[in-house]
Amino acid sequence: MNQYPIMMMVLMLASAALIPIVNVKFKQHLHAFIMIVMSALVLLGIFNVKHVIAFGESYINFGGYRASIGIEFYISQLSSLFVLFVIVLSWIIILYSLKDMDHHIANSKLKSYYTLVFLMLFALIGLSFTFDMFNMYVFMEILSLTSAAIISIKDKRENILASFRYLLLNTIGSLSILFGIALLYMVSGHLNMGELYRSMSTLIELYPMNLLLAIGFMFMGLAIKSAMFPMHVWLPDAHSTAPSPSSALLSGIVVKVYIFTVIKLMVYVFGVDVIRTLQIDVAISILAVVGMIMGSIFAIGQKDIKRMLAYSSVAQIGYMFLGLSLLTSAGIAAVMFHIITHGIIKSALFLSAGSIIYKTDIRDLRQFNGMGYTMPLTMAVFSVAALGLIGIPGINGFMSKVYLSLAIVDGGQPLLLGAILVSSYLNAVYYLPIIINSFLRNDPVSQPNMIAEKLPNVMIASMLVLLLAMIVTGFYPQLFMRSIESAVAFLGL
Amino acid sequence: MIESILEHINYIGAMALFIIGLYTVLTHNNLLKRVIGINIMETAVFLFFVSIGYVEGARAPIVLENGETLFVNPIPSALILTGIVVAVSITAYSLSLIVKLYQHHQTLDMSEIMAAQSEDRS
Repeated sequence: MNQYPIMMMVLMLASAALIPIVNVKFKQHLHAFIMIVMSALVLLGIFNVKHVIAFGESYINFGGYRASIGIEFYISQLSSLFVLFVIVLSWIIILYSLKDMDHHIANSKLKSYYTLVFLMLFALIGLSFTFDMFNMYVFMEILSLTSAAIISIKDKRENILASFRYLLLNTIGSLSILFGIALLYMVSGHLNMGELYRSMSTLIELYPMNLLLAIGFMFMGLAIKSAMFPMHVWLPDAHSTAPSPSSALLSGIVVKVYIFTVIKLMVYVFGVDVIRTLQIDVAISILAVVGMIMGSIFAIGQKDIKRMLAYSSVAQIGYMFLGLSLLTSAGIAAVMFHIITHGIIKSALFLSAGSIIYKTDIRDLRQFNGMGYTMPLTMAVFSVAALGLIGIPGINGFMSKVYLSLAIVDGGQPLLLGAILVSSYLNAVYYLPIIINSFLRNDPVSQPNMIAEKLPNVMIASMLVLLLAMIVTGFYPQLFMRSIESAVAFLGL
Repeated sequence: MIESILEHINYIGAMALFIIGLYTVLTHNNLLKRVIGINIMETAVFLFFVSIGYVEGARAPIVLENGETLFVNPIPSALILTGIVVAVSITAYSLSLIVKLYQHHQTLDMSEIMAAQSEDRS
């Protein structure tokens, strides 16, 4: 039996409990402890994927209860891969945060920050593996509490307001998901996703109204949580005021896990046929296209770099929902690839923006003239990531657009290609001026000779790893795509 | 008509409470009232969930010697216990955030706080 998922979760929970009670004299010891735990987590994630590929997908039942009354985990290939991606990306971001967090919070709060991050990872892993509806709700609530707390830990008043609004809207989202779960439980008597799927064909005949309401409530809740376009209002404040590592975690990972949950609900619970019959996919694709374009338009007007990146996330989430609305295996594979791509690119963008803020305290895009001379390495990472989001060949953002376009053509809706094209142009409109200003325009104050900036080593290392990941997956996308495609084949679409 | 309303009064009440709560959260400017709205919404969902498990004239699900077999469904009640714990922690956390916001701004009015902060930014 595959015990690795439980080991991962126990490791996270135990170390989250250990951090605040252990008395550390030196900060280096805390850093070492955190990185050892994270490295162990990465190893467990790799072992888990290997085990799933070698011995097949498996179920874990907690406490020895039957699946229909107990809590069940489903260790599928797709969720194992997704969890590995989450763990590796958060390893890189946490490495960066070791130094950058000094800039944002007092030393006495460092312990609570890492406790929160570990609890968040615990909820992320649980949310990806769980196969029980109520368990899903509980993990979501842990996730929304911890992710709101890693925003408000920086004790500025704009952080507290952003965190409050994030918490409020997230709670409305979780409550409507719980309402949806109640409506499903009312007519089916099941909370297990597999049992629900088996009773779906009778439900749609006997209680179509309940089913439609349940799907409506659940998708509305998940749309709020994953910041689909008209429900995105909390995202710009939350992602831009948070400390830079938190922004990277929230934008690169937390939003993605809700999209992964949407995939799980569509495939494992309702089934693709029910979604098609009720025409949920049409509604999703319309909102996705509007989000892709409006998110970019909002981003154009922004002056604060992190706010601009946050609005750009809204547009990118539109791409993911567009791929989902196709309901084909090629579409879901493209979404998974884009989740990985965008996770890497957006973390690189937020971390390089964070380095600029760490070094110079400049957040205003109008002061970026000549930034390429004062911080060449950081701006190189930023430029490559920005070009990737625009879709320049050779960077992974281009490949994910190619996969998405191929899936759209396969799905027989070529008109949607226009939306990708328009959105890419709009991306270029707000990313290119930054690159041009920072490298081609001279700041009159600073001298024009280029010296590599003196950032802490861990920050440079984590940015370089992300840069390498962007370029390697840009030239060899098959590295990821092959395993994603074989995992998606197991969904049976 | 009236009979069917009376039969489903729990569900209708839960729906009404949910909408009242949502209305409070979305329209009120007072931060505390927003948290109260969230609490009303939570109560609505809990009422709905617990009503699903209710069986007319049944006992609490404790097996006794006298051979009664009509029990209410214990699963929704057990789930809602967890839900209440989650709701309490969210309320506590949001109230602590309100305390901090009040210390910074000396007001509980959302629009005033937003106005003060957007003035800051520009």
